[in-house]
Amino acid sequence: MKLDRRYFLTLASAVIGSPVLAVGQNSSDTTALFLSAASDSDDQHWVIGFELVDGKSAEKFRHLLPARAHHIAVHEALGVFVVIARRPGNYLWVGDLHSGEPLAEITVPVDRHLYGHGVFSEDGRHFYAPENAWQLINGDSGRVVAWQVSRDSQGFSMVRAGDFPSYGTGPHELLLKPDQNTLVVANGGIRTHPERPREKLNIPSMEPSLVYMDAVTGELQEQHMLDAEYHQASIRHIDQNASGQIVIGMQYEGEPFARAPLLALHEQDKPLQLLWAPEPQQGQMKQYIGSVRYDRSGRFFAASSPRGNMISFWDVATGEMIKSLRSRDGCGLCAIEQGFLFTAGSGRITQYDMVRDEIEALNSGSFGKVFWDNHLSMIAR
Amino acid sequence: MVYNENRSQLKSPVMKNLYSCICMLAALILPTLVFAQASEDWTRVNLSVTDNHVIPGYISLENAAAGMATAAQSFCRSPNAAGLEAFRNGFHNSMDAWQQIQHIQFGPITYFNWNFRIHYWPDEKGTGARQLDDLIDSMNSDSLAKDNFASESVGVQGFPALERLLFDDESLLAFQEDNYRCQVAQAIALNISDIASGVSQRWRDEFRTTIENADERGFFESAEDATIDFLKAQIEPVRRIQQQKVEEVIGDSAARARIRRAESWRSNRSLRNLRLNVLALENLFSGNEGQAVALGAVLMSEDRTLISEAFLTLKMRLEAAPDSIEEALDADDGYARLQQIAAGLDDLFEAFEAGLKNTDLYLGFNSLDGD
Repeated sequence: MKLDRRYFLTLASAVIGSPVLAVGQNSSDTTALFLSAASDSDDQHWVIGFELVDGKSAEKFRHLLPARAHHIAVHEALGVFVVIARRPGNYLWVGDLHSGEPLAEITVPVDRHLYGHGVFSEDGRHFYAPENAWQLINGDSGRVVAWQVSRDSQGFSMVRAGDFPSYGTGPHELLLKPDQNTLVVANGGIRTHPERPREKLNIPSMEPSLVYMDAVTGELQEQHMLDAEYHQASIRHIDQNASGQIVIGMQYEGEPFARAPLLALHEQDKPLQLLWAPEPQQGQMKQYIGSVRYDRSGRFFAASSPRGNMISFWDVATGEMIKSLRSRDGCGLCAIEQGFLFTAGSGRITQYDMVRDEIEALNSGSFGKVFWDNHLSMIAR
Repeated sequence: MVYNENRSQLKSPVMKNLYSCICMLAALILPTLVFAQASEDWTRVNLSVTDNHVIPGYISLENAAAGMATAAQSFCRSPNAAGLEAFRNGFHNSMDAWQQIQHIQFGPITYFNWNFRIHYWPDEKGTGARQLDDLIDSMNSDSLAKDNFASESVGVQGFPALERLLFDDESLLAFQEDNYRCQVAQAIALNISDIASGVSQRWRDEFRTTIENADERGFFESAEDATIDFLKAQIEPVRRIQQQKVEEVIGDSAARARIRRAESWRSNRSLRNLRLNVLALENLFSGNEGQAVALGAVLMSEDRTLISEAFLTLKMRLEAAPDSIEEALDADDGYARLQQIAAGLDDLFEAFEAGLKNTDLYLGFNSLDGD
């Protein structure tokens, strides 16, 4: 699908003329550090840091991980990154952003496991990650744990400081609202148990939700569910723009032929706004979104469909899909100047310039044969 | 029945020898190909497979389904035993063709839910049966009109629903007593025919060009990306048919075998389906006699030999089995034979996996087990 011409002007003004939104936005992406979990063909799992040099990807460091990871949370001022174990893993692997060297490996209690996502507070004093209290079969097993973080001359430490319900089952990605007082949590709705690691135990009765909760007290502020007919659309991945609008990526667990919502927008105190791609793109998403990320202007977002080998680009002003690109097993997304960088399970790293509507596959040969995991993070240096 | 003639052909010693010849031929021809993994090489393989395997497969389906739709129309004008026999033969011919192209699960077959609409199976919740009963009870002719029927539930639109109507001891009587029931069967046959012709036409008119021009500016990331879709169509069905078409049926023991979990058990062709699946997968891999290059060319020659041997072993096991899984289970050594077929599929899958490991080809990671 070619980008509509009228969008070039819109894109150029929106993408280039946007106010400063993200950390490191004014820095050139050529000095940015990208981080992703990856696996190799020997089933070893890594955290890899890379830069873009002369339009090519260049590895800066890699470290072996105890098990497969998912997302990497970064904090520039602290100079740390935290690799979060993929469900049902139990480790947080902390590294130094500049050297890549390990700082700490922390495990969650034996009756808990992580879900692969976590987020730092802007001041770096707190880190939040969803957990599964899997022994609570009947109650709300979804938890959000707040950690107190410090890094000083004594070293790095992370201490469990708060343990709140997520007000749902299977909490997945979470973020802090710009006010830093409110956590937004995607409760996927799917019950799992570490003894049957990849099995989904409650598909007929699952009830995903988007929750806003107080980051200090854990108190529930708002909870939004999909209409009953879509209760099998698992709310998994979220991102926000500077105005606090949330984009939601879903994974449908119902019949494979059903027309199911996969994307939505949300603003606090308002109902969910479902987004639909035209056919054949809606069908090509194979009922599965792996990651969602706003561009730097916050006007557009990208959504990856690794099962459909496709990445779609959307305009939040109209709620319409404006472009789709083929990307074999493409999943990890990161906003860069004028567009997105995306990583794929195939090992490819691709740059998409939204303004020029140009795609460039970056040479990823320097990494050997690695499969990039679902999420890509970035920090300017 | 007409289709039994085909079956005896498949099982004849002549064909067995031919299989061996084809395997040897493949082993002789393929190693001579220098596969440099350049874009032109991927495209050469992709087009050869498209022209020799995919498009002929869809044309066969299109023709067979058109024949079935005509037979359905004649039958419903005046339902009698000969007409039902012709309709059933049309079903068998169409199902034969579908089983030989079912493994292609990318491209046009994925448009408009066509893949689910033509054959939604397994239907674990049995919703198709309930929906079919509801449709028949409704007596609503409007819902059978071509455009309306296409938006009916997938469970009533394809082969499983038609099989349910056609293959019952009381089928003829039921059709004679209830003309609307016959109209439903006719609507399904026509729908299958429309889907088959839509897929066939789009491959010929559009998707072949998409394959031919596969590069980063088009639908595919590259020509290799298109080859990977063919490889997925080659390898993933091996595991899927092992699990869904055999292991789900035979369970852990003979006492736990469940015939009704088999594909096409009503029309007594579960193992025939399997045999056709395997022959088609082998054709995708080795090509027809005289075909310059087939999909196997992308693997190392030693791996190709091992895969060809795995195909041969599996086919011998399948040829020794009857058409229906029920008949197979009734035989003294039937259960063990079915276990051997499952093991043969497992060996074939492992041979493909091992072959892939010796290449840089990559089939899936995030897409296989997401989070």
